[in-house]
Amino acid sequence: MLRVGPFNLPSLFVAVALAAGCATSHADALDGVLEVRSAYVSVEGGVFLLHARIEYPVNPAMRDALHDGVTLIVDLETRIERERRFWFNADVLDLTLRRELDYHAVSDRYLVRDVRSGTQKSFATLEEALADLGGVDNWPVMVEPQLTAGSYRISVRAGVRRGRLPASLRALMFWTDDWHRVSEWYTWSLPG
Amino acid sequence: MVAPGLTPRAAGKARWRGIALVLLWGAVALGALLLLAKSVQNSGDFSRLQPWILLLNLIGVVALTALLARKLIGLVRDYRAHVPGSRLTARTVAIFGALVVAPLLIVYLFSLQFLNRGIDSWFHVEVKQGLNDALVLSRAALDLRVREYSRHTENLAHSFLNATPEDIAERVYDERRATGALEMAVFGTHERIVAASLENPLESIPTRPPPDLLRQVGERRSYVSLEPQAGGEYLIRTAAPFTDAPARRDERYLVAIYEVPTQLAALSEAVQHAYSQYGELAALREPLKSSFRLTLTLVLLLAMLAAIYGAIFFAQRLVRPVQDLIEGTRAVGKGDFGTRLPLPSRDEMGFLVHSFNDMTKRLRRAREEATRSQQVVERERERLAIILARLSTGVVVVDRVLTVSIANQAAGAILGTDLSAATGRALPDLTAGNERLGQFVAALVVRFAAGREEWREQFDLDSASGRRILMCACTPQPGAELGYVIVFDDITMLLQAQRDAAWGEVARRLAHEIKNPLTPIQLSAERMRRRFLGSMSPQDAEVLERATRTIVQQVETMQQMVNAFSEYARAPEMRITRFSLNQLASEVADLYRSHDPRVEMHLHLDEHLEAIEADRGRVRQILNNLLINALEALEGVESPRLDLTTRAEQGGDARYAVVTVCDNGPGFQRELIGRVFDPYVTSKPKGTGLGLAIVKKIVEEHGGRIDADNRPDGGARIRVVLPVTDSTRSAPGVRERRVELRREIV
Repeated sequence: MLRVGPFNLPSLFVAVALAAGCATSHADALDGVLEVRSAYVSVEGGVFLLHARIEYPVNPAMRDALHDGVTLIVDLETRIERERRFWFNADVLDLTLRRELDYHAVSDRYLVRDVRSGTQKSFATLEEALADLGGVDNWPVMVEPQLTAGSYRISVRAGVRRGRLPASLRALMFWTDDWHRVSEWYTWSLPG
Repeated sequence: MVAPGLTPRAAGKARWRGIALVLLWGAVALGALLLLAKSVQNSGDFSRLQPWILLLNLIGVVALTALLARKLIGLVRDYRAHVPGSRLTARTVAIFGALVVAPLLIVYLFSLQFLNRGIDSWFHVEVKQGLNDALVLSRAALDLRVREYSRHTENLAHSFLNATPEDIAERVYDERRATGALEMAVFGTHERIVAASLENPLESIPTRPPPDLLRQVGERRSYVSLEPQAGGEYLIRTAAPFTDAPARRDERYLVAIYEVPTQLAALSEAVQHAYSQYGELAALREPLKSSFRLTLTLVLLLAMLAAIYGAIFFAQRLVRPVQDLIEGTRAVGKGDFGTRLPLPSRDEMGFLVHSFNDMTKRLRRAREEATRSQQVVERERERLAIILARLSTGVVVVDRVLTVSIANQAAGAILGTDLSAATGRALPDLTAGNERLGQFVAALVVRFAAGREEWREQFDLDSASGRRILMCACTPQPGAELGYVIVFDDITMLLQAQRDAAWGEVARRLAHEIKNPLTPIQLSAERMRRRFLGSMSPQDAEVLERATRTIVQQVETMQQMVNAFSEYARAPEMRITRFSLNQLASEVADLYRSHDPRVEMHLHLDEHLEAIEADRGRVRQILNNLLINALEALEGVESPRLDLTTRAEQGGDARYAVVTVCDNGPGFQRELIGRVFDPYVTSKPKGTGLGLAIVKKIVEEHGGRIDADNRPDGGARIRVVLPVTDSTRSAPGVRERRVELRREIV
């Protein structure tokens, strides 16, 4: 039998099996409620502003991961479609509000960062940070000229995933997706 | 025939299609691998596509496995069916496969090991500890500041307790400037701003206190927090109520915001960054390993499968010309020289195939040449066979041990045996029951034993069926051990004819030369008697009388003899009539039956024998002479018996009348048997010796033949064969033969 170091031929198959096994193993990293509780749109000065209340999960595994240095990416995805009677709905826009949550070990605080604007807020507790993330107000999603006559359908969903993954892990994470969760779509219609 | 099952064009197309497929597949596999490698190297675009690239590679592995399985099944099937070249293919594939797979596996196993150890080494315990220590240090350094600022804020807030609002405003301003705080503000009930001083002159309103600060000062406790900012700075936010005694109703509190010195902030931020990065990576350690393992395994599988597939593909390509050669050789072995193999390439294999094609071409030409030569030889042989068959001369070709290789019809006829089936048999084996052939072979053996190879001699073969004289010539065949060509002619007839002619001449001369003096002798004797008989004494007269009578008698006898010679030598003058041979035979037999009543004479007449066309008088003479001859032979024999038989025979197109005369006398003397028809050959004390010679002469004049032999149970037998019709007698062959004989005689 060919023996090289601690490996032998069966270890090849073990390695392959391990690689495959990762795809089915499931840690409880993002366990908990992930839900868009409510959402609505208000119009101010021709700008459609989205307001939403989201509940994000919180659990020890997540806290530990944050403390280990993991960054969570918290997305709020908004999709507006024009409803068509005899055909698929037409996409009008697809916007994502992306924020990052991580733990600052030196100051022992949780940071919430808006990726697009670069603004950052810090919170003493994870709950406070998640509460902040869960309240989205006055998020401009659309201007009135973008809409034509007809009824529209607005969908909102929240997602949490591990951010700043090394690229080499993306593929693996694609299958071992315990660090990637999205909520159900929260959908309502905007009558014309 | 070209390659088995494929035309050259189809074979070329298939080859190019195969190469194109391999190149395409190689390009796709290589591309997928390169993309995989790129995506591993943290390249933004590819990392997005990585799952799909990985999937593509997996599909590649599956497809390649399927292709490989198909090839392997085909290979095993061929191997079991003993398809030519399958063993060579299998061996080549095994060697190629082993050469490729073994190093790949070793590299793979070592890579896995190094990968695991490498990744593990990144997360060394000491590194973790060092980072923790750095974090603690940073915290301690910042904590010092935080506490200092917190205490200062507390002291300041307590000092404001009894101050007037104006004093407070003034002192806030002074203190902010003195301490270098970014903001300093005093809030009253419901976050009402009592006094505020800000470093930034553009801002007039202090930052709104965060909820946890409000909560804490509401409980009359100091508040302090270290807040990291987006730009890497740190703010220390402190708050302290004016009094911590809950009984007092003063709800004012002081909020001061300080900035951590830049250097300390930068260092702390660096520690934070390193800690965060390390933690993140450490959390991903196992997935990272798995990811690398997966990639490595995929690369290995792809490379290995492709290598084995390639090994099979190239082994088959390598072996295909060999298979073609095997098929071609088999075809050539079966005699198909038209086999042409497609040229696989311009390398040594191509040269071999080219040589094979060249060889088959030459073989084909050689075979055509050989066939042509064989046909020529065959034609020559047939021609020779025709010539040999038509020859009246006997030709026998034998080898050194007298095994016959060629014997023509004439040879068989002369030697009295059928030599048509003698080819391949030794002459001595054929002699049983054939005395003449036995003598012939014995004569040959004697000469060959004496070492004589080329000779020309006369053989005198004397057998019960008659005497034959052969002129025989022997020549060794060209070529050392081949044997001899023996050519012989039956010259019996020729010699007989010569003898006949000589006797004819003798008879004619006798008749001419002797007959003439006989009459004067007779007349002279009679005159002497007449003249002197009366004048002599009775005694002398008696002497004269006896002497002259003797002279006259002897002269008469001599005249009879001369007449007989004259008859023998007389030129034939035939008077052909049609008569019944049976009737003639009866007449003659009746005549002689009364001649000697002691002899039992039996007549056996064939009633189917039709009337023959011949000279009746001469045929009667034949019968007369034969019967006289027989009766003379029977003199002194006890219970003599004579059989006269007639019979009709069919020989070819002609019919013959056969007359046989048999007796139970002493038979012919053996040494005379070949010459009984010669004049003056007789064993009897009296007779001219011309009887049978004349018979033979008449028979030959009629185009018939005569032979004499001894019966097995004793006695002589003479057989005369006469053609029934005159036209048969005048047949060209017979006439020619007679003319030829005449010529010889002349």
